[in-house]
Amino acid sequence: MTLSRRALLGATGLATLPSGLMIPGAAAQGERVLRYGISMADIPLTAGQPDRGAGAYQFTGYTIYDPLVAWEMDVADRPGKLVPGLATSWEADPADRRRWVLKLREGVKFHDGSAFDADAVIWNFEKVMNAQAPHFDQRQAAQVRPRLPSLAAWKKLDAMTVELTTKAVDSLFPYQLLWFLVSSPAQYEKLGRSWDRFAAEPSGTGPFRLARLVPRERAELVRNTAYWNPARMAKVDRVVLVCAPDAVTRSNALLSGQVDLIETPALDMVGQLKAGGNRVVENVTPHVWNYHLSMLEGSPWRDLRLRQAANLAINRDEIVQLLGGLAKPAAGVVDPASPWFGNPSFKLRYAPDEARKLVQAAGFSPRNPVKAKFIIATGGSGQMLSMPMNEYIQQAWKEVGIEVEFQPVELEVLYTAWRNGAAHESMRGITANNVAYVTSDPLYALVRFFHSGQVAPTGVNWSHYKDAETDRLIDGAMQSFDPAEQDRLMARVHERVVDQALLVFVVHDTNPHVLGRNVRGYTQAQHWFQDLTTLA
Amino acid sequence: MLLYLVRRILYAVPIALAVGLVCFMLVQIAPGDPINAIVPADAPQEVVEQVRRDYGLDKPLPIQFGLWISRVVQGDLGRSLATGRPVTADLVSAVGNTLTLALVAAAIGFVMGTILGTVAAVFRGSVIDKAAVGLAAAGVSIPHYWLGMVLVVLFSVTLNWLPAMGAGPGGSGDWRWDWEHVRFLVLPALTLSVIPMGIVTRTVRGVVMELLNQDFVTTLRGKGLRRGGIALHVVKNAAPSVLAVMGLQLGYLMGGSILVETVFSWPGTGFLLNSAIFQRDLPVLQGTILVLAIFFVVLNLAVDLVQTALDPRIRRA
Amino acid sequence: MSTTTATTAAIAVPQPAPARSNGYWQGVARRLSRDPVTLFFGFVLLLMALAIIFAPLIAPHDPYQTSMIRRLRPVWFQDGRYPLGTDELGRDMLTRLLYGGRLSWFLGITPVLIAFAIGGTLGVIAGFAGGWVNMLIMRTTDVFYAFPSVLLAVAISGALGPGISNAMLSLTLVFIPQIIRVSESTTTSVRNLDYVESARASGAGAMTIVRVHVLPNVLGPIFVYSTSLISVSMILASGLSFLGLGTKPPEPEWGLMLNTLRTAIYTQPVIAMLPGVCIFLTSMCFNMVSDGLRSAMDVRG
Repeated sequence: MTLSRRALLGATGLATLPSGLMIPGAAAQGERVLRYGISMADIPLTAGQPDRGAGAYQFTGYTIYDPLVAWEMDVADRPGKLVPGLATSWEADPADRRRWVLKLREGVKFHDGSAFDADAVIWNFEKVMNAQAPHFDQRQAAQVRPRLPSLAAWKKLDAMTVELTTKAVDSLFPYQLLWFLVSSPAQYEKLGRSWDRFAAEPSGTGPFRLARLVPRERAELVRNTAYWNPARMAKVDRVVLVCAPDAVTRSNALLSGQVDLIETPALDMVGQLKAGGNRVVENVTPHVWNYHLSMLEGSPWRDLRLRQAANLAINRDEIVQLLGGLAKPAAGVVDPASPWFGNPSFKLRYAPDEARKLVQAAGFSPRNPVKAKFIIATGGSGQMLSMPMNEYIQQAWKEVGIEVEFQPVELEVLYTAWRNGAAHESMRGITANNVAYVTSDPLYALVRFFHSGQVAPTGVNWSHYKDAETDRLIDGAMQSFDPAEQDRLMARVHERVVDQALLVFVVHDTNPHVLGRNVRGYTQAQHWFQDLTTLA
Repeated sequence: MLLYLVRRILYAVPIALAVGLVCFMLVQIAPGDPINAIVPADAPQEVVEQVRRDYGLDKPLPIQFGLWISRVVQGDLGRSLATGRPVTADLVSAVGNTLTLALVAAAIGFVMGTILGTVAAVFRGSVIDKAAVGLAAAGVSIPHYWLGMVLVVLFSVTLNWLPAMGAGPGGSGDWRWDWEHVRFLVLPALTLSVIPMGIVTRTVRGVVMELLNQDFVTTLRGKGLRRGGIALHVVKNAAPSVLAVMGLQLGYLMGGSILVETVFSWPGTGFLLNSAIFQRDLPVLQGTILVLAIFFVVLNLAVDLVQTALDPRIRRA
Repeated sequence: MSTTTATTAAIAVPQPAPARSNGYWQGVARRLSRDPVTLFFGFVLLLMALAIIFAPLIAPHDPYQTSMIRRLRPVWFQDGRYPLGTDELGRDMLTRLLYGGRLSWFLGITPVLIAFAIGGTLGVIAGFAGGWVNMLIMRTTDVFYAFPSVLLAVAISGALGPGISNAMLSLTLVFIPQIIRVSESTTTSVRNLDYVESARASGAGAMTIVRVHVLPNVLGPIFVYSTSLISVSMILASGLSFLGLGTKPPEPEWGLMLNTLRTAIYTQPVIAMLPGVCIFLTSMCFNMVSDGLRSAMDVRG
């Protein structure tokens, strides 16, 4: 039976890659292997642009591929910043600030041996931005298009220079390029121009090559010994990603030695994990666990009083307690320590009586509650203890007269709903989504959610929020190339967002990881992006 | 005999078709436009229209069903919404994994059940009998996914003897029948085996007890036949009905392993179904159900045929 | 979970004893009263039923009242103020179990009751009418019978989406074909009995024959068979909830509670296991009582 199964597997193209790499377990003597239990139900897309959200970039994004502009991920004690990736420099043309000129890195090779150059970059933009291109890939495009909302055009200037044009002047544009990864055109040609086959045998320029992929189960990444960046040379020979979406199962797997490290442990098992000699690492993470409220006609959340009440009814300290202390109460989209926090006059706190009064003023009460339906995730990275937290908040709201019904879905489904926006047909009757947001830079923390030009599906202004003053402030920041001015304007935006209670702000995650005794080192960046080359 | 065989096989064809119809209807009964169940929600309009034409969704239902069946017969179950991969490809490995699990669980359950049932019948009314009956009742009453959780705590975490999840150190792609891999199978298979164990115990106990009471055993005994001889007769006479129960059980295990696979992250059809449900990935849901149900139909047919071969009396009924 | 087979596998074609009379029911009662095992399990069931019916009177707390300060506390927390401890959101376990029993029992019994009514009727019609009516009903039944029960329930719930009503619908659809099979075969064998044949020959109307001769003989076996499905239904329903296809939070239901308490299995193993114990106990009781009824009513199978 096994024989025929393997034969069938081969026939369907699932058994992947050069036969030399096919035998796991039979790893070469002395090879250092770490097995990583990840919270995803499937290995994220391996063809270039990963699906499954920001948390997936660390697994099949920044491992196999490189971006043009990269994020500094190997520091833990301060936030990272933009650093050169496949582009060595990027500059807006002073004559026309919409034109960005990028110098490309010389001497970089894809895993298949072909050379990286301007043609490859243009080919990759066509892959995701031009539906008419022969190699256009709908699945990758769906992932990255909303992440490049400003991009209007792309052009090769010479073999190692490209020019990107934005729709309007946008000083924050380089942040968008973090999300754009470059796959190998030569490999795509070699595999008969099939993205399905490319996903099984991908080729990028990254610090790891994909050695083996078993969908829904595991991906094996081996060190790319020819990697161009010595600072990001992988410290272990092989990293095996093992899908374990269930937190308890994942934690059990670490306890029983089946994996060497995990992300997001089952919080009630943290004590048990520590007792077993494992280390818990966490770090400040630009993240907010929130409800993004719809501002469309018919949504009860158009009423400021209800938005404020929803924020005041939640005891955030208790939620942190529920999370075993591995979280921080939210005071806004970003942490008060952030330069973009400003000084909002609406202070987030637990004030149930005040909330009740606000609900009453809006014409409702616990007896005659305002009713709403939210779409939430059953779990997944960044969503923390999704179900218990939602349930807890549901109860807290009930006490002040807000009755919320949940529609729990798998995280990837939630992402799709989120990109589609609140006005999409599939969102009928739903007035909030529960995607936990990455808030690493001004674009990601504020611009994409609150500018009227970012209304979904162009960007992820899910709620269709439109406010002239907010737009004006954001436009000002995007046209300014002075960082201090940018910060000042973004802080003003943030004040408006908090004062208008546009989200229900709950907590910030600390993105806990648990390292087994076998793991010698790991640098956890203050980001949702992580660098698996730091694993030792 | 031959005629019966042919008739029986021919009868399975309309059943299989009707099973297909039920699976086809799953997408139709799902809330919303069926097109939303087959294309990703963020697909551009031109893709949506293309798929609508390809699938004939603008045509009447019977024609749609015809188109669907013709694709299914060619092995095309559509593409997963969540991953974009062809459903058939994912199913091949998943069905293999579930079959491995179900076969081993069935083997454990059948052997245990047969032993318990026989012993209980021979020592009818004794403490052993009562214990066996109690065990059988517990086997069918216990929520086995709960049992699975308990076993993991005991054997994986506390004692650290067996793995808590997965299908082998290298995933299911390279399954082999050696201890390195079989270790992964022990807990899920044990968990899954309690049901067939309970049911086979009951059946075997009932059948053997009845046979032991029958005249011919008394006669045999009177003829001075020894225990071994009697046992042989009992086995021969009990086999058809016991086999029938076992065959059905195997089918139920294939279809019923979803909870155990979820608890143990065993990458079979149940695991696939579970994630398909939460991703609202109807092509995967539909394909998996179809394959499992057809498997069950074929298994039923096989059981019937084997039973007939063993016990010619059935044919006349 | 595929306990269905407990009964279907033994392909229970219950053989009715002809002509039931008052004497027969007295006999059943007498046999039951001499069966301490069945009586015991029946008594336990009765106690549980009373407890969940009067949950609002007995339960010490509000089943929805959460508190992070007292989450996952052990049994007998605060000197018995929380007799069975608290769950992952600090809600009183005893209260949740009592209220949870309501939904679990409801999901266990209702689908079987509905299936009993629909399946029983269709089966009697098929058995009594014979001919093409029988053909139509029974061949349709065969199709649904071609699905393992868990799979069918998961398929229907999965396609319709989560929720109590969808879970009930799918469970009912799972049981109808099984009950049809039993009632059809019982009816057929009654129909062919001599005295029914003679009643028909003497010109009695179909309704009369069904009412006087068929129903009294077939209801018993169908009933016994249906009781054996209750435990199956309960386990299936809790399984659906465990998968997230049945009850939605925050409604208490044993299967769902079992799922959400999984993460507490190290810190509070006893509490994490309580909902499972409840499901197990109830299902075991229903099984044993059903077995007892079967032998008391002298239904073979």
